[in-house]
Amino acid sequence: MLARIEYALRETWASFRRNLTLTMAAVLTSAIALLLVGATFLIQRAFENLLVQWRGDVAMIVFVRSDASPEQVALIDGTLRAAPSVIDVDKLRYLDKAESYAEAQRIFLGDPVTLSLLTPETIPTQFKVVPLTEDTDLVRSLADQYRTLPGVEAVALAEDEFEVISTLSGFVRNVTLIMSLVLLAVAIGLIWNTIRTAMFARRREIEVMKLVGATNWFIRIPFMLEGLLQGLIGGVVSCAGVWALNSAWSGGVAAFKPGTGISSLVVPAGYLSGVMVVLLLLGAAIGAIGSAIAASRFLDV
Amino acid sequence: MAPHRGGSVMIKLDGVTKIYGHDTLAVDDVSFDVAKGDFVFLVGPSGSGKSTLLRLMSREEVATEGDVWVAGRNVCEMPPSRVPFLRRSLGNIFQDYKLLLNKTVFENVAFALEVIGKPRHVIREQVPFVLELVGLADKSERFPNQLSGGEQQRVSIARAFVNRPLIMLADEPTGNLDPATSEGIMALLQAINETGTTVVMATHDHRVVNAMRRRVIQLDRGLVVRDQERGVYE
Repeated sequence: MLARIEYALRETWASFRRNLTLTMAAVLTSAIALLLVGATFLIQRAFENLLVQWRGDVAMIVFVRSDASPEQVALIDGTLRAAPSVIDVDKLRYLDKAESYAEAQRIFLGDPVTLSLLTPETIPTQFKVVPLTEDTDLVRSLADQYRTLPGVEAVALAEDEFEVISTLSGFVRNVTLIMSLVLLAVAIGLIWNTIRTAMFARRREIEVMKLVGATNWFIRIPFMLEGLLQGLIGGVVSCAGVWALNSAWSGGVAAFKPGTGISSLVVPAGYLSGVMVVLLLLGAAIGAIGSAIAASRFLDV
Repeated sequence: MAPHRGGSVMIKLDGVTKIYGHDTLAVDDVSFDVAKGDFVFLVGPSGSGKSTLLRLMSREEVATEGDVWVAGRNVCEMPPSRVPFLRRSLGNIFQDYKLLLNKTVFENVAFALEVIGKPRHVIREQVPFVLELVGLADKSERFPNQLSGGEQQRVSIARAFVNRPLIMLADEPTGNLDPATSEGIMALLQAINETGTTVVMATHDHRVVNAMRRRVIQLDRGLVVRDQERGVYE
């Protein structure tokens, strides 16, 4: 058993070095494809920070002053519920201080100055309003009405803040997703071709191996490991790239003026590590797929 | 037909027909037995089906009709996953040696053991032993291109024999060699046969057949036209 493992690893490494040019092409393509996948994840997550408060068809947010009395909150709640033909009262949600604070921590992730000014005591609570109507003018006139209620600090409309970002984020997601998928397919194709070439270069050896009774798996495994290794190295390179891009972006964002929304477009470190793990697994997967197809199809050389 | 002989049957062909593609008949309803320890020549002109019979025995080809039994197993019904294990009980040698040019003599022979997962101490023990047997102990670090044709064939015989096969299948092993060298190769095959290994050799080399006086199965256009103990080429 030990002899077999040693053989497989030695052959993998030898073949890896032998086809250095093709291998480099396969590794780099995998890395670029995976980098795009990683960027897609990060961009989406960053946009979500901005969009989180509008999640679930919320079109209007009524912010309540942090010093509002429970009676004032009850009055606002009653007023909102008094328009059941315009507002979906079943989906009406009140976020208390703790919930609002948790949400703010996402929105102001990249803006430590603002974040430090917020405390669970001073944060405004909020009502999330899902309208039943498509009529934006009606929603806007309701908003104007709510602004005058005692205890209301502000009323924000999705139309003003959310739509542009939402459209932008959807567009960016589609573009990066399509590009990643195309590049992933190209990466699989290149790994497939590298392994196929490696097998063709060693067709005499494979012929002799079959002749003396090596099993197909014994012949295949070094080639499959080679593909796996290419994908995995691509994954490692892409992780480095994603990390570098993210660091540069986060650093740049910190220099922006607070309150422009740009500062929300950052991701937490834990999420970044998660993405890196996904990229490594995905790299190994594309390597395994590409080489498995090649190794099963071209054994009869 | 072949006279009855004692001993167990090592290879049995029963009504074997092989058609390549749609209509190229290579072997036509061939039946014969080869006893354990036998030495058999398959003779006949090019295209008579000699090589096809060898390829059917090592299951590089599957019979269109009939059964091929090798070492007690019906190789026609064998699932592909078992074929490697069949091949481990066979030693194959060829006219063109099929040596790996980037490996030394030692490595070429060791390769056959390595790829069936034999541990290193077995390789260190067995390879020098067979190289001694074929008379190449002093050339184990040479590369195939530094050897004569006869020496290369000896390496290929060492590679085929190192795993102690039950059967040696030889396809024109002297086809590229001069008469004196061929004689040496035949002496080696005979020595291997004397260890109890069954040998089946396809050839159209009159001299070696006539010198050996062993069983001769003559083929013509896929048919067995003669099966004779202690035969000559004719």
